[in-house]
Amino acid sequence: MPNNEVVMKIENLDKFFPMKKSVFSRAKHFLHAVDKINFEIKRGKVLSLVGESGCGKTTTGKTLLKLYEPTGGKINFLGRDVTHLMNADDKKWFHSKTQMIFQDPFESLNPRKTIFDIVSEPMNIQNFETLKKRELMVMEILKRVGISPPDAFLWRYPHELSGGQRQRVAIARALVMKPEFVVADEPTSMLDVSIRTQVMKLMMELIREMNMSFLYITHDLAVARYMADEISVMYLGRMVEYANSEELINNPLHPYTKALISAVPVPDPEFKRKSVEIKGGIGKPIDPLPRCRFYDRCPFAMEICSQKEPELIEVGENHKVACFLYEQR
Amino acid sequence: MKPILELRNLKMYYDTQAGQVKAADDVSFVLNEGESIGLVGESGCGKTSVSMSIMKLLPENGRIISGNIFFDGKDIVNFSDEEMNKIRWAGIAMIFQAAMNSLNPVYRVGDQIVEAITAHEPNVTFEEARQRVANLYKLVGLDPERMDNYPHEYSGGMKQRAIIAMSLACNPKLIIADEPTTALDVIVQDTILRELEKVQKKLNMSMIYISHDIAVIAEVASRIAIMYAGKIVEMSDSVVIFKRPAHPYAIGLMSSFPSIRGEKKELVTIPGEPPNLLNAPDHCRFAPRCPFATDECWKQTPSYSEIESNHFVACFHPQNLKKLVNMNA
Repeated sequence: MPNNEVVMKIENLDKFFPMKKSVFSRAKHFLHAVDKINFEIKRGKVLSLVGESGCGKTTTGKTLLKLYEPTGGKINFLGRDVTHLMNADDKKWFHSKTQMIFQDPFESLNPRKTIFDIVSEPMNIQNFETLKKRELMVMEILKRVGISPPDAFLWRYPHELSGGQRQRVAIARALVMKPEFVVADEPTSMLDVSIRTQVMKLMMELIREMNMSFLYITHDLAVARYMADEISVMYLGRMVEYANSEELINNPLHPYTKALISAVPVPDPEFKRKSVEIKGGIGKPIDPLPRCRFYDRCPFAMEICSQKEPELIEVGENHKVACFLYEQR
Repeated sequence: MKPILELRNLKMYYDTQAGQVKAADDVSFVLNEGESIGLVGESGCGKTSVSMSIMKLLPENGRIISGNIFFDGKDIVNFSDEEMNKIRWAGIAMIFQAAMNSLNPVYRVGDQIVEAITAHEPNVTFEEARQRVANLYKLVGLDPERMDNYPHEYSGGMKQRAIIAMSLACNPKLIIADEPTTALDVIVQDTILRELEKVQKKLNMSMIYISHDIAVIAEVASRIAIMYAGKIVEMSDSVVIFKRPAHPYAIGLMSSFPSIRGEKKELVTIPGEPPNLLNAPDHCRFAPRCPFATDECWKQTPSYSEIESNHFVACFHPQNLKKLVNMNA
């Protein structure tokens, strides 16, 4: 069923954090965690945000779900502007359709609650259906995520489960209300290799089955390639490149994307990678100067790169890059 | 080539209230001078227990039940704490998991390394030790001027470099690196791995890399041992392990890793979860998850034997990867 409906669309999304010396002082400096980000996710599609720690991928995800109030820009969800939700009904509607899966299943599940309580909590908050129906839905989703038999697990506590089972429960909790849009923040990075593949496959199946739109946040390009239809690379709060996954992996344009791809270890002892050319570490985008944020580390830096910030421009079919190297046309 | 370390049928068990945990069961391998080997496995498979046994840094309830550990020709299993103190750091140094968080925040980084030197070599003066630290800083790619900074002034990658400098401080013959780059970003990971490799070649040291990430191990180790549930299930040259893995677990592990090179492949999942090592069974520990298991596998533990020159496998039904691929195609 081809469906090009845009589920989530953001325009020039900003999220700045004030840097205060004390509780009472006024903020003089701002950390530009997310700076003028644009993208859209269609129904049933997965977009992956990739970047090093501190590049703003998690902040983007949380701002999209309104866990942070955006500083600027617009968030459009299912055709409605949800940038600033004021009344309770709108909030309720928005939060019933969106969910998040967190990184660490050891911390994201309340240790004092049973599996049933954890999975049914979103429905309790939303006052969804009757208790009887909720129980059935919990059983159904638990079975679907591979917690079986579900009735043997309903009254257990998180500490009785293994890491993989916990992440399955976290997925069940996020999907029990059949959300239309889910943000998954490094959902497999805490899991062991053999379990990680199981969970990734499960998520792929569920995305297809439920026709959800997914924002998949990861630092691992190989995982992003496997999970996502499109990949967006972030660097210090800015989106530097955006393309279909295979295109991005096989034909990276931005020097940072190239470095990132060449730094990924290859599981083949006979393959000799080319060394990464960039030096230094990632800084912090506090009151950034109006120049390319990769300027300090870029092996191809030119004069213009220090004078203004490159815009994200389309260089190929659905392939965008923010770099002056590609702007002469 | 002269062997620097040899483990012979090492058994290390933990006594717990619930029973005996067989963390390392019949582990044997030889490490030659100047060689680097990789120990791969999922969490709880006993990788760290093996390294802790070599350092003899076991918790109170952990005991070496039987077996030998020869370091530099001497069996160190029955060494006293005093004798071990001479070997630790000066003979065998260790880079611990997330070691960068183990730097003392209230002491200057350089002073902490100086302290490690003077503690092990009382004849070295403070000035000499400082000079040696400055040289080590250069060796691992740090500016010696940063010696007088505190840990919070270092980035994650710099702290890890400082830890590597510290491990080299007393010219050890063997370094055990336990997940040396797990907490770091890919680009930093890449530079640290290259640094380690360079230093190892330059000083002709032996290395044991421990990691859950076979891609990392593929890049740095010349031989690989794959551990599962307290046992080494397969060991050979890294090229052989990747080209002709024979143990079903090794095959599963190789094909469950997403790669960013080559064609996008369907990932294979290993069903089930790693077993609990508490009261481990007498049969093959992989049998419950193994697609090739027969009655034999459920009755006894397969022996660790050589299937071709220098290729050891502990399995009743070693597989041929090529045949398997043809079967599926």
